[in-house]
Amino acid sequence: MVWGAWICLLSPLAASCLITLGGTRVSRRTAGWLATSACFVAFAGAVASFVGLLTHSASDRQFISTAWTWISGGSYQSGLSVLIDPLSTFMMLVVAGVGALIVWYSIGYMDGDDEERRYFAYMALFVFSMLLLVQAGNLILLLAGWGMVGLSSYLLIGFWHQRPSAIAAAKKAFVMNAIGDATMALAFFLLIQQGNSLEFGVLGGEFSSTVANLVALGLLGGAVAKSAQIPLHTWLPDAMEGPTPVSALIHAATMVTAGVYLIVRTHAIFEQAPKVADLAAGLGAATLLVAGLIALVQVDIKRVIAYSTMSQIGYMFLGAGVGSYPNAMFHLMTHAFFKALLFMTAGIVIHALVDEQDIRKMGGLRQLAPKTYWAFLVGSLALVGIFPFAGFFSKDSILAAAMAKGGVYGYVLWGIGLAGTFLTGLYTFRLLFIVFWGEPSAFVREHFHPLGRDVVAFSLAIPVGVLGVLSVIGGWIQFSPWWHPVETWLRTVAEPIVSPSSSQEWTSIALSLLLGLTGIGVAWAVYGAHRVAVPRVVWAQRTLEHKFYFDEAYDALFYAPSVALAKFLRRGVEQPLIADSGRDLGDDTRDLGGLVARAQTGLVRTYALAIASSVAVLAIVFVIVK
Amino acid sequence: MTTLLICLPLAAALIVWVLPLNPVSAGSLSLLAALAEVGVWIQLLVRYDFAQGGLQFSEQHTWINDLGVSYHVGVYGFSVWLIGLTVIVMAAAIAYAFWAGRERARAYMGLMLFLTGAIVGVFVAQDLLLFYAFFEAMLIPLYILVGVWGGPGRLGATLKFVLYTMAGSLLMLAAIIVYGLSEGTFDLVAIGPSSSQWIFLGFVAAFAIKAPLFPLHGWLPDAYRESSPEVAAVLSGVVSKAAAYGFLRIAVTKFPQPTHDFRAPILALAATGLIYGSLLAFRAPDLRGVVAYSSLAQMGLITMGVFAVNDLGLDGSVLQMVNHGLVSATLFLLAGMVERRTLTGELGRLGGMARGRPALATVLLTAGVIALAVPLSSAFAGEFLILAGIFQRGWGWAVAGAVAIVLAAMYVLRLVSAVLHRDVGPAVSDSALDLRPAELGVTVPLLACLLALSVWPAAITQHSFHDDHAADDVLTQFK
Repeated sequence: MVWGAWICLLSPLAASCLITLGGTRVSRRTAGWLATSACFVAFAGAVASFVGLLTHSASDRQFISTAWTWISGGSYQSGLSVLIDPLSTFMMLVVAGVGALIVWYSIGYMDGDDEERRYFAYMALFVFSMLLLVQAGNLILLLAGWGMVGLSSYLLIGFWHQRPSAIAAAKKAFVMNAIGDATMALAFFLLIQQGNSLEFGVLGGEFSSTVANLVALGLLGGAVAKSAQIPLHTWLPDAMEGPTPVSALIHAATMVTAGVYLIVRTHAIFEQAPKVADLAAGLGAATLLVAGLIALVQVDIKRVIAYSTMSQIGYMFLGAGVGSYPNAMFHLMTHAFFKALLFMTAGIVIHALVDEQDIRKMGGLRQLAPKTYWAFLVGSLALVGIFPFAGFFSKDSILAAAMAKGGVYGYVLWGIGLAGTFLTGLYTFRLLFIVFWGEPSAFVREHFHPLGRDVVAFSLAIPVGVLGVLSVIGGWIQFSPWWHPVETWLRTVAEPIVSPSSSQEWTSIALSLLLGLTGIGVAWAVYGAHRVAVPRVVWAQRTLEHKFYFDEAYDALFYAPSVALAKFLRRGVEQPLIADSGRDLGDDTRDLGGLVARAQTGLVRTYALAIASSVAVLAIVFVIVK
Repeated sequence: MTTLLICLPLAAALIVWVLPLNPVSAGSLSLLAALAEVGVWIQLLVRYDFAQGGLQFSEQHTWINDLGVSYHVGVYGFSVWLIGLTVIVMAAAIAYAFWAGRERARAYMGLMLFLTGAIVGVFVAQDLLLFYAFFEAMLIPLYILVGVWGGPGRLGATLKFVLYTMAGSLLMLAAIIVYGLSEGTFDLVAIGPSSSQWIFLGFVAAFAIKAPLFPLHGWLPDAYRESSPEVAAVLSGVVSKAAAYGFLRIAVTKFPQPTHDFRAPILALAATGLIYGSLLAFRAPDLRGVVAYSSLAQMGLITMGVFAVNDLGLDGSVLQMVNHGLVSATLFLLAGMVERRTLTGELGRLGGMARGRPALATVLLTAGVIALAVPLSSAFAGEFLILAGIFQRGWGWAVAGAVAIVLAAMYVLRLVSAVLHRDVGPAVSDSALDLRPAELGVTVPLLACLLALSVWPAAITQHSFHDDHAADDVLTQFK
């Protein structure tokens, strides 16, 4: 079991190093297969850990394996250790499993790219980093994984580095995440000061409410940045500059959900800081609404799905914030299935249309690519949460949990969540109808080229097929009103603090199903049947197209001032005061040299006077110092 | 052993200067000597008893008996790491100079070897006057290396460098004389603590100029820009650490009361330097400017760690001294390698170098992400400990550090992108080659040290102070 966990962690790293060091001695295809098989080995390791845990009783499912002391400072120490418990194995299975499928898919998608080796080295590095994040045995290693996923995300978003937009997006993602890293680090400093430890156990200690609030806020800052929640969300849509499998793996299935994992993992501190937990739920609710609205007006196929991802993670934050941890994790899992599926089918569409992503040029693909259409349809239904697809089982129980939290705040959250299901139905099927229904557009007729029957097509199709199946049946493992194995499995790590009643469950299910279907219906009326003229509200549309002006606000509030400050320091302080001071000093020395030269009169009496006065001064100095 | 570490490079310098060797054999001999020095250091590392800690391999010979001055050398746990940093970076610098082919190779190589001996001397001297002698001996070859082999603006750069460091040295000399005479000995181990603020400030001023700390860094941009890349690597990588070592070994150890009294202003200067350097690095128009100002920022951070005077801060600052030494040396060498190919360091004229140059891209990217302290790197471990330590002296200092983390990400990524990414810059010709094997041979070992430390930062943090209780060690003056 312990060995399984270490193999799971290290095999992707080994693949990444091999590909990097091998250089051209590793062929492009070999690099792809090396990365894919390493991820499957990691998945096998995860399964081994899972099976190993199953053999232990529920109360005895926590193991820490420490390789050596990683860092120390006086009595504070943290080991290089992996944690094997129900929550970490759950995440290992999701990350390694979905990761392996997406890396496999990449073999087809990246076929023919100039730098396939670099791509697969980065992908393997990412899978390692993500596994480090979820397997970390203490908070500092968690932060290490946290930073490493940020790094690999940077590398992969900017993979096509000759594109200025890709590089700008990569930098933006990294810097925004660095802000989150910094707030987490501050929280850890406070923990070290209070508890002199960064083991997960320290979070359960007794803290004053100020300390608990500050620590929770610091962690929430990291979670919000990584999971692209308001207000640190603006990097995610731009991150779609990366290759599509990257979006599927990092910006849908795994990394962006790390914030949810973090809250669940550190829930002990959030329970001591209920206000911050409420804030997390509120930010989730705000994000799910705002992102859902923005998704309505986007015209880039990947950006629509990206906003949908933000919106869905908003649900998970909502769930984790109200204390329904297992449901948040369950939604994380099903979301990984259907969102990866959507991205990958979108990737096939983009591939078939020679890298075109603008949906206004698409249309009628249902006739040309029926299998892709069916896969996309399955993903869309799962996303909206229509019975019996995966999203149905996981999303509704989050809404029920918000209801069970009760109070005005609980019902507000619940209401926003329900509104979100309507929006989900609307934007998802808007996308589906525009891209796949109707007659093939002129652009599609001209550029569409179907997939062949070669290894490329197979490595595209098989992972999509597997995820399609999972998007249908993956949700069935838990149906909150009747059976809940996920909750039972995670209970020892993250005991939920809300338990919805059966009537709350059924109300949420009925209403969200109804609203989801309404959304689909409206989308059909507007985009499918081309019948209804939508009234144009110019200011609303402009606000949505500018994504509520977040980018502009950040530019004006942070970026522009810091650039101005840097410019001012350079021109106003560094140049005149510091750089030139040396030059002045030099000139002065030269002048002084002239003066001193004049003192050399050659007259003994001048020298005698100088010596005598110097001795006197020295004597006085010595008396004073003594 | 300790004397051998000092004398081996000095003797090699003498041989290179005296014998009428041709450039190739002078270079090979120097490189051989530098590698032998690394070998001696490895012996030292293996034979130093970290469990026992304290001063080991000490040698003492009377020098000026009446004043209590002696040739007293020895190493502590943290000195082992700083000596290691010195000999490794110097070996890389000498190897690069040899490969790049400097004019008047004998003189150049001799100076580099002499410099190696002097810096090692600074880290092992256990007598104040001896420390001063090595400190000065370290500066003389640097003046010549910058002033003779530097770029077009070398004379101005050297003049500034000389004036600043001379001012610092004189203050330190005065401080040493007053301190030694008042205590009746110059022996660093035997000399008692002092509460004199003036003596303390004399030492602090000297080290603050050498580090440098804001606003005493006027010499830094020109010196780092005008010197040859390997000399810039040594200046920022190793020589600045002599100042940080001085803060640790003398300022905070021998002057506990003044350290306490002046903590706030010193931390304020260090924090200002950290933010200020990071901002200027973000706007610097050229490669070396970015690395130079990031060095200023990092020295501010290291100083904060030392002046936190607690276990976390001290452990972190020793680790970060080694990290920053290795990474800034690597970056300066890489800057030199890029400049060789493009004849400019202006970021606006570079770009697109990643395409077709995988080795350069990989090495620069790796060095860059370590420089920005991506979590899991050894630089992250060092910064984390420093900031955790300084947090306990006031959360505001740590917040300044956290801001600097974000700024570091901004300036390093700007540097990396400007060189590697986007369209091919006007100064980058297609004939500009990827890194040659010799260049890889210089940079990869430095990066390998950093990666090894990333896997095990505790190698340094657990093996720098007695029992890993740095604050107690400082309190008892390493006895």
